[in-house]
Amino acid sequence: MASTSMAEAEPQRKARLVYPKLGIPFVLLVLCFAAWGSAANLTDVLVSVFRSIFSMSNFQSALVQFAYYGAYFSLAIPAALINRRFGYKTGVLTGLGLAAVGGLLFIPASKALVFGFFLLALFVLAAGLSILETSANPFVIAMGPEGSATQRLNLAQSFNPVGANIGVLLGAVLILPHITSEAAKTIMSPDELRTSQESDLSLVLGPYVGIASVLLLIWLLILFRKMATPAEQSQEEEGVNSGALGRLWRNRHYRYGVAAQFFNVAAQVCTWTFTIQYAQDVVGIPREHSGWYLQASLILFLVARFVMTYLLGIFRATKLLFLMGALGVALCIIAMLAENRLGLYAVVAISLSLSLMFPTIYGVALQGMGQDTKFGAAGLVMAILGGALLPLVHGKVMDQVGAALAYAVPGVCLALVTCYALFDLLTNREGGELVSDGAHH
Amino acid sequence: MTNSRGRVDRLSRLVAAMGAVVLSLGVAGCGNSEKQVTAGLIIKQETNPFFVTMRQVAQKTASDQNVKLLTAAGKSDVDNQSQVTALEDMTKRGAKGILITPADSTAIVPAIEKARQAGVTVIALDTPTNPQSAVDALFATDNAKAGELIGRYAKARAADKRITPKIAMLDLAPGITSGQLRHDGFLQGFGIAQGDPAIVGSVNTEGDQAKAEAGMAQLLKAHPDVNVVYSINEPAAFGARAALKAAGKGNDDVILVSVDGGCKAIKEGIRSGEIDATAQQYPENMARKGVEALAIAERGGSKPTGYLDTGVELIAGTSVFGVESKDEAFGVRNCWGK
Repeated sequence: MASTSMAEAEPQRKARLVYPKLGIPFVLLVLCFAAWGSAANLTDVLVSVFRSIFSMSNFQSALVQFAYYGAYFSLAIPAALINRRFGYKTGVLTGLGLAAVGGLLFIPASKALVFGFFLLALFVLAAGLSILETSANPFVIAMGPEGSATQRLNLAQSFNPVGANIGVLLGAVLILPHITSEAAKTIMSPDELRTSQESDLSLVLGPYVGIASVLLLIWLLILFRKMATPAEQSQEEEGVNSGALGRLWRNRHYRYGVAAQFFNVAAQVCTWTFTIQYAQDVVGIPREHSGWYLQASLILFLVARFVMTYLLGIFRATKLLFLMGALGVALCIIAMLAENRLGLYAVVAISLSLSLMFPTIYGVALQGMGQDTKFGAAGLVMAILGGALLPLVHGKVMDQVGAALAYAVPGVCLALVTCYALFDLLTNREGGELVSDGAHH
Repeated sequence: MTNSRGRVDRLSRLVAAMGAVVLSLGVAGCGNSEKQVTAGLIIKQETNPFFVTMRQVAQKTASDQNVKLLTAAGKSDVDNQSQVTALEDMTKRGAKGILITPADSTAIVPAIEKARQAGVTVIALDTPTNPQSAVDALFATDNAKAGELIGRYAKARAADKRITPKIAMLDLAPGITSGQLRHDGFLQGFGIAQGDPAIVGSVNTEGDQAKAEAGMAQLLKAHPDVNVVYSINEPAAFGARAALKAAGKGNDDVILVSVDGGCKAIKEGIRSGEIDATAQQYPENMARKGVEALAIAERGGSKPTGYLDTGVELIAGTSVFGVESKDEAFGVRNCWGK
């Protein structure tokens, strides 16, 4: 998933970016940020590809996202425990290793021609990336002086959307144009069908083995490098304040914020997962061109993030959130009713409204949390579960009423996010700075 | 110094390894390395989306198969002379195989025979020659099967609606094989024979929308209780629906089925319910299989012979029990035209 840090640049006197001898490790970690961006958004392309290769329903193909985001959700806490117990380097190595194994599992999966095997490979890949992400963020912070921590994290995170766009590009160039057409399959014998399935799955294999190779390479380079950082010790000692869970639960802004984040991630994953299907099923865009609309969505998302960051300095965050949420709902309605290129452009434009949501909800929900902020942040990150569950609902609805009307699912999700913004606008609360550190996604 | 050089070396190795991964991915996408051969494609005309799709797919397949593809088209659906000229020209230019969609099934035969005598392999696409043996092979839709699919669907839908079928047949024109095969297939699929009392009337539309609308209006005057309409193609189906609307009959009142599967019909007909079902044919299969067969033959492989069914699928807005069909989304993904 594309991300941009909301962290603001702090004034500093040319503080060193990283400690001496950590230049190359820092570059390697930056590559990790790009790697998990690539893998996450290549998965969006994979949903439509598997639907075609295995001739399956939209619900079944959406299991790809269930495996991927389900792994992210499941591994969040174990990843934190690994970091706490063994340190960030071990966390990064475990994550890289597991993700590389996941990528390489695509090789036996493509030989077996079994969808479930691919789901397992994706689960392992995403589990590794979840550990990697959890370890890499604090590791990057710990790799240099505190004065340049935000700058360092911003720089590293800026490679995540670059990777996300590369992921979609890989799918749009290396996979989608070369998949066997359904028309061609109508006259194939069972043997020919199997051969075409093998050939199509070998296309899927390429990018994942490529990503796995890069991850393995980084793994080896990090393994044989001494990377202990002076700040690591202090990071390990952070703990959970007693009674935090109860305090967080009693805070409606936080409680509803977690729900809003769940639906925001759901809307984002649904929108991007089914953009290619909308282009193909509703508008009739040829398969080889359909990936470009997802690419356009991600580029719009990336550009809009910068614009929204600027606008957030002028307007109240929840006012913008309300406006963008309402815009997102309107765009979903257009997508549902237009059933033509206008509808497709509306689907692409939903990324504009999505662009500010994750960091804004994150900041608003954690506003004034004080000592409970870090624990509360974990709950907001785990709202990624929305990305695992709602695409299944979207897929099921799509199977019943078609690709256009199924955009009611992200529409409802965005409406709920809009309600959260309205709740914040209508509710008096004690002020405090919006929390931004860690508000990336 | 040594430490820094070692770091640079390691970094270089990292960049090189990543480059290798990118290169290997790139190489995977490269084309065919077999020797280039020359083939030709002659279509009826250049504006009908059916033939436009055929040419586009043939060109893409030719590029993938390292085939130099010569193309030509008539000025209209009945322009035989342009096709004769194109056959002679392509033979002179070294084409060892030619794909042709005959504009005139009989008049084109002497020119085809001349090309075959010169060693050219000829495959007819979509439309058979008369006689069919005038070409090496025919790659086309099974028109009887197309008619049968929509006949079975119309019968099951009529049963679902619990109506006594009163059928109007909007045919092509007398003596045209594809039209006759679709007509007969429909009757077989519906489980009736020519002359069955369920058939209340028929008109020849020549596959033209205006003629179909006029014909349908005429049939409705004599038989206002028509509730099932067979149409030879989708322009005829749209013409029929216009006449039915003018007579005050809604989409739910009359079951309308057709043949072709063009994008306009799927998006504007099936999606809106104006057309209940259509049998979708695949010009892309005709073109792709045609180019592949010629490439194999020209490289010393087996020569194409006989008939290849290029596929047909039933596309329905509402599925019915007992008749396998694909949904509108499948129809949109695989339709031809815009």
